[in-house]
Amino acid sequence: MNGADKINLILGELAGVASDPHGYAAAWKQETGRKVIGVFPMNFPSELVHAAGALPLVVQEDEAPITLGRSLLYEFYCGYTRSIVDQAATRKFDVYDAFYLVDHCVALLGAADALRFEIPDKPVFLAQYTASMDEAWTPAEIRKRVEDLRGALAEYCDAALSDDEIAASIAAYNRNRDMLRQIYALRRSGKIALTGRQMQILVKSSMIMEVGAHNERLDALLPLLETGLPAPANLVKLHLSGHFCHAPRPELLDMIEDCGTVIVDDDLFTGFRFIATDVPADGDPIAALTRWYFDRNTHVPCSTRSQMTVDWEEYLARSVHASGAEGVIILLAKFCEPHMLYYPELRKELMRSEIPHLLIETEHEGLALEMLRTRVEALLETIRLRKLQPVLA
Amino acid sequence: MSLIKQNAQPKLVIPQTGAPANRLVSTRSGGKMVKDYWDRLFSARERGATVVWYNGAALNPIFQAAGIEWCHGEAFGARLAAMHLEGPAQRMGEEYGYNQELCSYARTTLGCAVLTQKEAAKYVNAGDGADVPDIPSQEVLASKLPPPDLFVNAYAGCSTGQQWDEISYRLFNKELPFFKVSYPLLWGNKADAGYLRGEEWMEASRYVAAQIHKLIEFLEFHTGRPFDWDALRESMHYIKKAAQLRLDALALCKATPTPAVFWDWVASIAPINFLPGNQDLVDYFAGVKAEIEQRVIDGVAALPGERYRLAFDGIMNWNKVGWLANQFADHDAAVICGRYTHSSFWNEPHLIDEDDPILGMAQHYLLCPFNHSTKTLGELLLRDCETYGIDGVVFHATRTCRSASNGQMVMAKMAQARGIQTMVLEGDVADASFYKDEILMSRLEAMLETIDVRRRNF
Repeated sequence: MNGADKINLILGELAGVASDPHGYAAAWKQETGRKVIGVFPMNFPSELVHAAGALPLVVQEDEAPITLGRSLLYEFYCGYTRSIVDQAATRKFDVYDAFYLVDHCVALLGAADALRFEIPDKPVFLAQYTASMDEAWTPAEIRKRVEDLRGALAEYCDAALSDDEIAASIAAYNRNRDMLRQIYALRRSGKIALTGRQMQILVKSSMIMEVGAHNERLDALLPLLETGLPAPANLVKLHLSGHFCHAPRPELLDMIEDCGTVIVDDDLFTGFRFIATDVPADGDPIAALTRWYFDRNTHVPCSTRSQMTVDWEEYLARSVHASGAEGVIILLAKFCEPHMLYYPELRKELMRSEIPHLLIETEHEGLALEMLRTRVEALLETIRLRKLQPVLA
Repeated sequence: MSLIKQNAQPKLVIPQTGAPANRLVSTRSGGKMVKDYWDRLFSARERGATVVWYNGAALNPIFQAAGIEWCHGEAFGARLAAMHLEGPAQRMGEEYGYNQELCSYARTTLGCAVLTQKEAAKYVNAGDGADVPDIPSQEVLASKLPPPDLFVNAYAGCSTGQQWDEISYRLFNKELPFFKVSYPLLWGNKADAGYLRGEEWMEASRYVAAQIHKLIEFLEFHTGRPFDWDALRESMHYIKKAAQLRLDALALCKATPTPAVFWDWVASIAPINFLPGNQDLVDYFAGVKAEIEQRVIDGVAALPGERYRLAFDGIMNWNKVGWLANQFADHDAAVICGRYTHSSFWNEPHLIDEDDPILGMAQHYLLCPFNHSTKTLGELLLRDCETYGIDGVVFHATRTCRSASNGQMVMAKMAQARGIQTMVLEGDVADASFYKDEILMSRLEAMLETIDVRRRNF
């Protein structure tokens, strides 16, 4: 078996996990006899669930059309939240023992509350993290919430959840993030040809798979990638931005690349945003998990947080410059309010920095790929014309 | 209204009186008080006053005692929508890049912020002898807000509320002081959690109260003046009295037929939400209560042909208040209570300690009607349905407000389980384009017919 075959074998296995998270969870549960806990995006510290001996699984959007979920949430909620309630109503959440969340997104909370009604036998625990990061008293408040989580998980999982156990989980997750970031760095540098779909598989599977098992796959994959073929140099380099909470459909990524592009970087949640920041490895693990929450927003700013000293748009322009991307496609999940609110700030900065960009709104049902292809091609024309301008002049 | 036909039973003919509604006369003075308030605020710059733009909770007693003038963002958005003047601000927001699916309160007030900056620039440019930007006359009101000196955000129950002010702060070039009060959602992890009870309630109350104290320090720093605690106590004394009068008047509407309806209470939202705490406020609600008491004595109904008693759940639809009031009246449907009017706005005045009001104020901020778990919301709805003898509930599915729409479908199931009819009205808080009038009418008629059938069968 050559290197490419080995890469495909690993990616194939991870693709199976990414496309069937509940199947993976059921098998893991049967094998270990331990609990599976659904955690909701975007700031949940999975390390605590792992340290409690359970499987933390970042609940994914399901591709199925919304049916029974329509009786729990209106159609003007984002696809992710509507999919959550639909999965609950169609009994796809049987594998989970409980759900935990820390994020205060109004739509997510509406969905989580509907979940409590629809599947009342499964606990849904909210440790609400204060979204405003500026106040001197916020870190102490976040620490309390981390301690609440620790207490609740220890009780629910009947685990000690000692400092050492948490520290071990932190180390495992840091290692996982570090390896994924190495792959990102290889992609940015053009040394490897990894598609958007494949990159998504790597990150998405890390949200589902037991972290130790995922690390084993990455341990095997990384050296293989390092010796692989580089990305073609003649393609237009793009940065993908946004798409909070859930992954954009892989066929959308395929279409963008089919147009003659290569995705060199992103700040998608199911992407670099998820793996960008490590938890401090030393000292009190509860303090470290508290610190991580703040560090995440300074490393890759998010408009779901409120922080006067941090600007997503500046980060975006900086990232584009660093990766050599020639344009940005902003992927906005329809009805995502924090993203809708912040979009004009991103647009202003991209225009100021003369970075061509395109906004694509995605929906749970219906992806007008051919119409979107025309828009992507128009963006690429703009980029190519800009490249030619010095020659034409 | 269509007729119900059933085999082997006599035809049910529902006479519809559609008699004109008796709107309360006393609420008219509230309209004048509110207009005077805004007119005075519009001249704040000329008077050299310090102005705060704030969103969310009724922090106005704090600002009043700090000696600064306050502009409540949603209130101004609601006022524009109620006057059908929201268009220019919303168009400006759209031009700036805001998607129509975004909270229409936010779109309206962010559009106002852009217009306010334009208006301010006009004065600066005029002073410089430069060209004056052309602001069409219809945009005048939307651009009249005095530019802020500082921002305060205090939005419970809605993550968008805080993010919206983060954007307002950026629209003004990140140059103005900005204070944020954060609220926990009253979620109820623990077994003892519930409305006004449990460990989580008390912990959240203390957390918010501590932030209010910090807000006061922030205001002292930026005004350069010590906070006037006596003024706060005085203001809260009046607000507590006014709030109790409002509750007493609401309770009088248990009578059948009801002496006042939800739409009358909508007219009283602005006074209790953001007008200064003073004797005028007390006099206003004393007047409302007196009129309702007299109606009870005289047997005067809000709807002379009252046949149905309904509840309204969700946030107001400011563009359509008058239109909706008429439609329900035409069908002899008295909308008697609602989440927005009855479970909000200093609705638990016993919590306020006039000598030390901060904790009770913090608790009211937490009691925002969109800051509860669905379980609590359902329990409050069922309580009101029982209190007011409600036949059916109208849920306002507010297109751009997830906060007000959360839990409604579950609450509807809870009401249905108690034999209460429900319907969904599709609309929006401040964007008229989301209304579907004909669908509303056919659903309303269907619900009222079902109520008739049930009455007949049971």
